[in-house]
Amino acid sequence: MKDLKHLIYFENLLQEAKNELVDRAIKDGKLAVAYTCYHIPEVLLNVGNCFSVRLRAPRTGSMDIATYYMSSYLCGYSKALLERGIEGGYNFLSAFIGSESCSEMNRTYEHFEVLNLVANDKFFVSISDIPFKIEPHTIKHYANQMQTKVLDRLRDVYGVDISEQSLRKAVEEHNEVCRLITEIGEYRKEENPRITGYEFHVLNLVTYCCPKYLILDKLRETARELKTREPDEKKNYRAKVVVVGSEMDDPDFTKLIEESGALVVADRYCFGSLPGREEIKLNDEHNVLEQIVLHYMKTCQCPRYMNQDKVRGRKEYVKKLVNDYHADGVIYEQLKFCEYWGYERALASHIMTNEYGIPSVTVDRQYTANASGQLRTRVQAFVESLEIKKIQKEKGINL
Amino acid sequence: MKYFGGCDVGSTYAKCVILDENGKMVADSTVRSKINPVQSAELALNEALNKVEGISSAKELSYLIGTGYGRNKVPFADENISEISCHAMGVHVTNPEVKAIIDIGGQDVKGIAIDKDGTVKNFAMNDKCAAGTGRFFEAMANAFEMSLPEFCKLSLKAKNTIPITAQCTVFAESEVISLVGEGKPMDEIAAGIQLAVAKRCFVMAKKAGATDSITLTGGCAKNDGLKKAIEKVLKIKVVDLSVDPQLMGALGAAEYARQKGLAK
Repeated sequence: MKDLKHLIYFENLLQEAKNELVDRAIKDGKLAVAYTCYHIPEVLLNVGNCFSVRLRAPRTGSMDIATYYMSSYLCGYSKALLERGIEGGYNFLSAFIGSESCSEMNRTYEHFEVLNLVANDKFFVSISDIPFKIEPHTIKHYANQMQTKVLDRLRDVYGVDISEQSLRKAVEEHNEVCRLITEIGEYRKEENPRITGYEFHVLNLVTYCCPKYLILDKLRETARELKTREPDEKKNYRAKVVVVGSEMDDPDFTKLIEESGALVVADRYCFGSLPGREEIKLNDEHNVLEQIVLHYMKTCQCPRYMNQDKVRGRKEYVKKLVNDYHADGVIYEQLKFCEYWGYERALASHIMTNEYGIPSVTVDRQYTANASGQLRTRVQAFVESLEIKKIQKEKGINL
Repeated sequence: MKYFGGCDVGSTYAKCVILDENGKMVADSTVRSKINPVQSAELALNEALNKVEGISSAKELSYLIGTGYGRNKVPFADENISEISCHAMGVHVTNPEVKAIIDIGGQDVKGIAIDKDGTVKNFAMNDKCAAGTGRFFEAMANAFEMSLPEFCKLSLKAKNTIPITAQCTVFAESEVISLVGEGKPMDEIAAGIQLAVAKRCFVMAKKAGATDSITLTGGCAKNDGLKKAIEKVLKIKVVDLSVDPQLMGALGAAEYARQKGLAK
């Protein structure tokens, strides 16, 4: 396939949390507001002169100092953020908005405050409580948390415009990004997709980590470019897979999977597009903030929710992705020590394989995927088994 | 006569098997791996090729498949296949009755369940840590100031087993040195080491869904003490193979090469 015109540009934006566009936005007088979790509606951090940065720690090396402050048994993502914070990598931030949804990440929020990691007198960390159920009173609670812990704080500390008009404007911009990513993502349903999982991963990740108003032009151009892009006649993959799991902000992981023979056609993980890049439909009758939080509650696929409808719903969601994107199997990935996905992947992969008849494999991974020969072997063996099952199915052989 | 090759470049040993078009093994080789996987593959290939009359270079093989961690680096290979699939096929052509494998290589442990046709039904493997692998045994033998074969047989004489709690190679070495310092019997410490690794193998075998008719492959399959410990924890007799178990990856690769080469 012809290379995407802006791919290298987008890849470079992912080399640092404080990339060229983040820098430019700050010079434009904007405020960088960090977050880590889907439960913090991204649009709320894009009100007024703010822009959201879903926090990453690219090119992480040793995490010894973070391990000293936290423990060996916390996930690599929470430790990598702390390590990078200690190294002074997040001094560009104006605020860090957290949610009480993952106890491991709570330790990171605490350390940002206790160790005074960001060299900005006005910098603050704010943590919100997130409900477990969708009921009228829980939505009110969620909206109240977002109002008092996020919007009011931004207004009080930085004078940010948090009016309804400002919220609607942020939603509009967010929706355009979502429409573009969804349009691009739809190509992954094709029999021979015109975009690789790696390319999509890069594009989608850029939309989480950069000021949206600065990426829209190139994103629109990429969407136009893809309309006429021709896939290689000879397929460069042997099987299609859906990747499901915990926090994933490393496109090299997707590259590793694709180098092992599997094309990643759908991304159901934290920082992915499913969910994450659905438009927020607002009406004029109801409270805007409540409509926003309801959208996030309804679309969330996080395994923190343990009621049976949600548990079963998550498996059904993955099954639907497998069908819609014509995948041959599922790779469940879990960031080592991620408490929620530890349980989810063990149970879900069993149900997927034995009850739904969808081949799956589980992988326990580090925060960064570099140089993992064992991971490569595991994925390749899975691809080989998918390939053989496909051949047997075509021949009508049932072992 | 057409010949087909499988070259398994492992982290500690590189192995090569050459089959004729009837599937008969005509040559094999096992050499210590070099730091450069290309060199390791060349050494193993050349040694095996020297044993086959009429061919002198890998280019003359009708089809060649690379496997093992250095599978991408095998010169002249037509393609590469993961060692998981190759071990399954290697065992299947050696003994089709065997339905599961515990493969203990130089740096990883795998449990593999085999389907009726020699393909992989399911598998499980350890992550980055090399605990309970060939490297682990080498470190333990060093701690005992013994050769690896001596260490592997040591536990067979033990009347008791001293439990080893650490699985990490570094911590286990410290624990072993402490136990030796306390004057505990060496054979009983060795039995504890073998048992600890056997338990890890148990987990991999169960995760892969292995139930009966299990064999060991990889270099550690030659460790008699480990084999005995695995039989103890799994409560079944491990099936002995008629071909060197260390060659199973290369044999499977050669068999895949034969099937693919003949279908060309």
